[in-house]
Amino acid sequence: MTVYESDLPGVGKKFEVEIGDDERLVIVIHNTGKREVFHRVGEADSEKLFDLSDRLARQVGSILEGAHFQPVKSDTTETMLDGDSLLEWVNVAEGSDIVGKTLDELDFRNETGASVVSIQRDDTTESNPGPETVIQAGDTLIILGPREACREVEGLAAEVDEPESAIESGVIDELADDDTDA
Amino acid sequence: MAQVLLEAGLMFAVLALAGTLARRVGQSVIPFYVIAGILMSPYVLGTLDIGPIAGLTVADYALAAEEHITLLAELGIVFLLFFLGLEFSLDRLLASKEKIGKAGTLDLLVNLPLGVVVGLALGWSLLEAFVLGGIVYISSSAVITKSLIDLGWIANAEAEPMLGTLVYEDLFIAFYLAVVSAVLLGGGEFAEIAVNVGTAMVFLLVLVGAVYLGGEYFEQFLDVDSQELFVLRAVAITVFVAGFALAIGVSEAVAAFFIGMGFSSTDHLHDLEHRLIPLRDVFAAVFFFWIGLNTDPAVFPAVAGIIAVLVVVTTPSKLLSGFLSGRIYGLDDRRNVRVGCGMVTRGEFSLIIAAIASSAVGRGPILTEVVPAVAVGYVLVMSILGTMLMQYSGYLERFVVESEPSTAAAD
Repeated sequence: MTVYESDLPGVGKKFEVEIGDDERLVIVIHNTGKREVFHRVGEADSEKLFDLSDRLARQVGSILEGAHFQPVKSDTTETMLDGDSLLEWVNVAEGSDIVGKTLDELDFRNETGASVVSIQRDDTTESNPGPETVIQAGDTLIILGPREACREVEGLAAEVDEPESAIESGVIDELADDDTDA
Repeated sequence: MAQVLLEAGLMFAVLALAGTLARRVGQSVIPFYVIAGILMSPYVLGTLDIGPIAGLTVADYALAAEEHITLLAELGIVFLLFFLGLEFSLDRLLASKEKIGKAGTLDLLVNLPLGVVVGLALGWSLLEAFVLGGIVYISSSAVITKSLIDLGWIANAEAEPMLGTLVYEDLFIAFYLAVVSAVLLGGGEFAEIAVNVGTAMVFLLVLVGAVYLGGEYFEQFLDVDSQELFVLRAVAITVFVAGFALAIGVSEAVAAFFIGMGFSSTDHLHDLEHRLIPLRDVFAAVFFFWIGLNTDPAVFPAVAGIIAVLVVVTTPSKLLSGFLSGRIYGLDDRRNVRVGCGMVTRGEFSLIIAAIASSAVGRGPILTEVVPAVAVGYVLVMSILGTMLMQYSGYLERFVVESEPSTAAAD
């Protein structure tokens, strides 16, 4: 994928994103913050799809990115860092195996390949938790690592004896996989 | 006091109405603001002898280009050029200097001399003809850019040669205005003119140097955690430097252009654009209105012939130079036709040149009366004609598509 950027004096900036098959998504960002999105096939005229205000564009952008911070109930929230690394938010379920263990005991990095960069507990966030930190039910672990490793930690943090939850997380995994394929 | 406020209110009400009307009929607002000014002027409304409305006769509602309106109009020129500078990217010019340079020079060499030739053919002096050349040369950045957005061409390939040529024209017009205003507003002797042009150039060089070398200082100057102070400081420096320039005989418009250009490389660019656009829009509207107020429609019959000749001669010349500019950018002929149509519109800069000419007192009636009247009539025709050509470019595109089946197939 190639993105072409050009200045539009008096207007703003134009980005052309190749989306395959001789098609391009043309995004014009106005100085006023307005975004106009066009679609163009080959050398034909660009066809305007829609326009968004600055605020709306940011919201749609974060939804497209997959990292929306709206209070939407979801088991996983993740941000792609590059081709394979994810920054993921994992909730620790009540009946999970890892509850009550220290990070040192769990040794995530060697066991799974993912590291815990921070733990959200109640309203506080402990960044860079030490090896003696004990994981509690209801914690949100913010983990960093390859997709596979993150999936593994997710599995560990999930409830062990609750089949419904397993199905649920399975569905989410599937969706996430579809995403990657597309 | 009451009179001044009433006049201002009346003016803005008429401008709002004219703008709404322009939008309704899908035209550029500039000619509508100018016509609104003509209609409200002492020459039109002031001559109506109709009975009293709310205690005042209709003629009492007429507006004259008095000092307070002139001040607002002057601020309009300053902010128009300030924004031009803000948007003017030297980096961009250098990045595609070859294409912009070729297309812009072609546009300059075709259109400026044409106006000069028409001026000379009318028996005008070289200076007068040169002013006419500037008026017919410079396309309207404001109207063309807006039409590009409205028509959705902004996302197409034809936007590039058009915006590129506009950038070239903008830089050229800054120097053109500097020279013309130094010549027109200064003395008459050649030596005196040379001194004036020299002063202008030195002042502008100092300004550019200060803005570039003191970039950090300029950055800090606007680095204030208050919207109110930010706007006040930006307005203060722009208007003060522009006013100082005018006081020492240098074009205020060009000074504002260079201040804008200085700020274009700072981190405040976006905030400046965001917060000062409303100011520019209000004052620019007053500027076009003020142009109208100064125009006596009774002079149009006398200059109609000149306007007609200019329209007939300079419409095809812009079509041609635009078409060839598109070729320089390697576009297909259908898009080249659009580039040509797009460049036809003349507007705000032609009127700014005319405003400078009209203030060249003691330089003869051609500059102070004929040129402004010609410019107003010409801009009224060209801004509407240009916008229409863009809207209906499809009809012209058909000519080249038919003769080039390969292009048609590609679309």
